[in-house]
Amino acid sequence: MIKYTIKRLLQSLLTVLVVATIVFLLLRMLPNEYYFTEDQVNKLSEEEKNERLRAAGLLDPIGEQLLRYYGGLVRFDFGDSRRIQTGVPVLKVISERFMVSMRLGVSALLIALAIGIPLGILQAMNKDKIPDHIGTAYTVFINAVPPLVSYSLILVFGAHVLGLPSLYSTRRPGISSILPIACLSLASIAHYALWTRRYMVDEMNKDYIRLARIKGMSNRNIMIRHVLKNAFVPLAQYIPASFLLTISGSLLAERFFSTPGMGPLLTDAISRYDLNVVQGCVVIYATLGVIGVFLGDVLMMIFDPRIRLVGKGETR
Amino acid sequence: MSHNQDELFRLVDYSADAAERIGYSNYSYWRSVLQNFLKKKSAVVMAGVFFFLVIFSFIALAISKYDYATLVPESSLAFIEPNSEYWFGTDNLGRDYWCQVWYAAQTSIKLALIVALGECVVGLIIGCLWGYVRVLDRPLTEVYNIINNVPNIIYMTLIALLVGQSFTIMAVAMIAFGWLIMARNVRNLVLMYRDREYNLASRCLGTPVRRVLTKNIFPYLVSVVILRLALSIPGTIALESTLSYLGLGLGLETPSLGVLLRNARNSFLDEPYLLIFPAVIVSLITITFYLVGNAFSDAADPRNHV
Repeated sequence: MIKYTIKRLLQSLLTVLVVATIVFLLLRMLPNEYYFTEDQVNKLSEEEKNERLRAAGLLDPIGEQLLRYYGGLVRFDFGDSRRIQTGVPVLKVISERFMVSMRLGVSALLIALAIGIPLGILQAMNKDKIPDHIGTAYTVFINAVPPLVSYSLILVFGAHVLGLPSLYSTRRPGISSILPIACLSLASIAHYALWTRRYMVDEMNKDYIRLARIKGMSNRNIMIRHVLKNAFVPLAQYIPASFLLTISGSLLAERFFSTPGMGPLLTDAISRYDLNVVQGCVVIYATLGVIGVFLGDVLMMIFDPRIRLVGKGETR
Repeated sequence: MSHNQDELFRLVDYSADAAERIGYSNYSYWRSVLQNFLKKKSAVVMAGVFFFLVIFSFIALAISKYDYATLVPESSLAFIEPNSEYWFGTDNLGRDYWCQVWYAAQTSIKLALIVALGECVVGLIIGCLWGYVRVLDRPLTEVYNIINNVPNIIYMTLIALLVGQSFTIMAVAMIAFGWLIMARNVRNLVLMYRDREYNLASRCLGTPVRRVLTKNIFPYLVSVVILRLALSIPGTIALESTLSYLGLGLGLETPSLGVLLRNARNSFLDEPYLLIFPAVIVSLITITFYLVGNAFSDAADPRNHV
């Protein structure tokens, strides 16, 4: 087990490194003019521009830049932000946004779990009856309608009918987070309901459930003690990943409500040529993604003792 | 018991013709698919609605009183509620909304269909190679992992900044990253059916690889490919609207769902019709296509054929 964990962690580290390198190289493909603001492009002479680029180390051979970047990574030093918050260390810039995204994301995830899983159970228990059809209609709606449209509908409903603020404001973080959280949890509710229902229906068709029914176990007991327990195992796998990914924030929802979170940070940083911030974000995203998958496997093993994590990276 | 055996059975002469008829079934894959699909009345209705909307988007532009290309901002005409002159009202710049909405619906459909087709072709070809050719498994898996591990939005932002923003660029970029899921689905299925006994037998009898792939394996792929298409079209429309909303998609001069809602974001709280018309039309298109695709994918699964 320990050997496997170490191997798995080393593999994950390699993935993060590869992703970081690719993004680093991709960003170096952007033309150097982006380094300057429009004002500077017009005012500065060629020599001054080159001088500044050289000082920033952007004219060094690409290999040298890459090595310096790796050096920083080892020390968890992502450098300073240039444009987003000039001169502030990237980690600090990110951690501020991180808290906002995390608060919204975790609340949305908890709501999604609290509503989605019971909804899925309700659907599975009343398969092909009215509750099931309502739940299915909901999941179809969420899957088919573009999120931009459903967010807009929620916004109009929330702002008009309930009188909630239509934009996030730092002065009133509580009440103005209601609509973003509602939007974020909308899709996850559908996701959890869909998969809970599917896994439960799969499980209900198995022979041992039929046996339990024959020997006279009550429907309620069968559902709680057998079906739900077994159906929860494959579901548990995704929870850590989605929990960690809440930190990275939702690009659309956060931009839509002007939330100062992680989501808009990435695109802002790319379009404003704040390379250090982009690289910091990407390394964090990749790390969270990799850890999420790993924790998912561990969680699945805890819920189902039959699953053994064996070598070669196989999880089933 | 009163029956005489002669009445129950009668001797038939051997006929080569009749023997052939029993040995050969007139099963046709695509006919069965169609038959199965037509049995589902709700799906047929949905398909009707979908095609009606697609065709109507052309008619709507033809009968429109304004042409999209000649719209001019006129601030005195801004925010006119729908009436007989402006069927969907006017937007914040005083331009006719009817022709913008239908043009946007058309753009969305066009983009989604092109991307879906591209994803389908690229995904099928690479998926088959990935699944069938053992040597390619490792390198393609690595490529998949690497592309899949970088947030797509980084690629999209870089493409928008480096290459530019236009319909073609967007379609190509979406295909370039969209084939991954299709290819992985196809690969998993090919891998599953490649070494089944009937394929082993087929190969031993000297069937060429091309025929094994197209006749023995392909029918199992159709249902998954169609299901993927059914998800890909709403997905593409959603991604387009997200990217355009963020300013990374189509330029402002090409009306699309994302651009319309982006322009209307600050106004539709007071003028809900700016949201409702595009939202209802685009949602109808995506929902009907999604349901039709799901039904068609069920119908295409050979295991559901009698």
